[in-house]
Amino acid sequence: MTELLNEQEFRTALEDAIKGREAKNASFSQAWANGELTREHFARWAENHYHYVGPFADYLGYIYSNTPDHATDAKDFLLQNMYEEELSDVRHTDLLIRFAEACGTTRERVMDIDNATAVTRGLQGWCYAVAMREHFAVATAALVVGLESQVPSIYRRQYPVLIEKYGFTEEEAEFFDLHITSDEIHGERGYQIVLKYADTPELQQRCLQLVRHGAEARFAYTKALYDTYVAPESPVANPEPALA
Amino acid sequence: MPKITFSTTDRIVEFPDGDEVNLLRVAIRNDCGIPFKCASGNCGTDRVRVIEGADNLIPPRRRERERLGELAEQGYRLACQTYVGGDVTVEWDPDQKELEAQGKVYDRLKQVWLSKEDTA
Repeated sequence: MTELLNEQEFRTALEDAIKGREAKNASFSQAWANGELTREHFARWAENHYHYVGPFADYLGYIYSNTPDHATDAKDFLLQNMYEEELSDVRHTDLLIRFAEACGTTRERVMDIDNATAVTRGLQGWCYAVAMREHFAVATAALVVGLESQVPSIYRRQYPVLIEKYGFTEEEAEFFDLHITSDEIHGERGYQIVLKYADTPELQQRCLQLVRHGAEARFAYTKALYDTYVAPESPVANPEPALA
Repeated sequence: MPKITFSTTDRIVEFPDGDEVNLLRVAIRNDCGIPFKCASGNCGTDRVRVIEGADNLIPPRRRERERLGELAEQGYRLACQTYVGGDVTVEWDPDQKELEAQGKVYDRLKQVWLSKEDTA
């Protein structure tokens, strides 16, 4: 039987659960960081990304409702995260739509889920299912550690390219700039919640399993963008590396 | 290895050579005591004064420049917005609160929750 990991062992295991599955290494992310995409590709990305991150406060709301009263720090973290997504400044989905419009698409197209791939819709459904059905520490591991904590490493490569190669203004690309830093902190706070409240071997193992699943889901979502929008027009075969 | 010195709480944290690390994330992970609230560069609760090593920080971007205003010229940075690439020493007032609200948060809340008649 698996024993309870100490805090350092568990943190290392959580970090290892993402390794080899990082969305920054998926073909669409690589092509973006290498400056190989067009504004049309970014528009298609925005039309998909909206349906993954748009309901993020909803996901967190389900986790919040499953979090017991005594876990005040976890509830505060979730509430603060929801507030920042929706109300503290410009709504984050509006920042995403601002970028989408700068790429030539429209708010209506972005909000129409028929413009998202089946893989994107699958990722959204997985997020809802995990948020509704799992223990709050497990759901936090899946959505915050497995998914949200990857954001800085992805956007720190992509943001400079948007400004320097594609000529987007800082205002148009604010969605990325904002999340580079805010998700550093959300990710770290997420780790703290998971390390504290996943306090049985079974919960720890479930956290590790769903962090793996989350990282794989985000990788698959990002890969599908390349396969759907970039590969068909490229003379080069899809260079996707296999999942570790 | 480069190190971050959190002067106010007398803590030192090292990080791998060649890395760029987020100042507030390092502080949270290692219980170094920088106060914070929003982590989005809005509230300013996590402002720190850079005593040494300002050249080892990435330059402030628009959001941070706008939030700090004149404080930026006095050597302040927002920990949540700051990436560190080498030795640095920072200090802060342990009792500090958020910077004076710029009004936009409350404007936004009013817009969401109150009708036009309420805000007329």
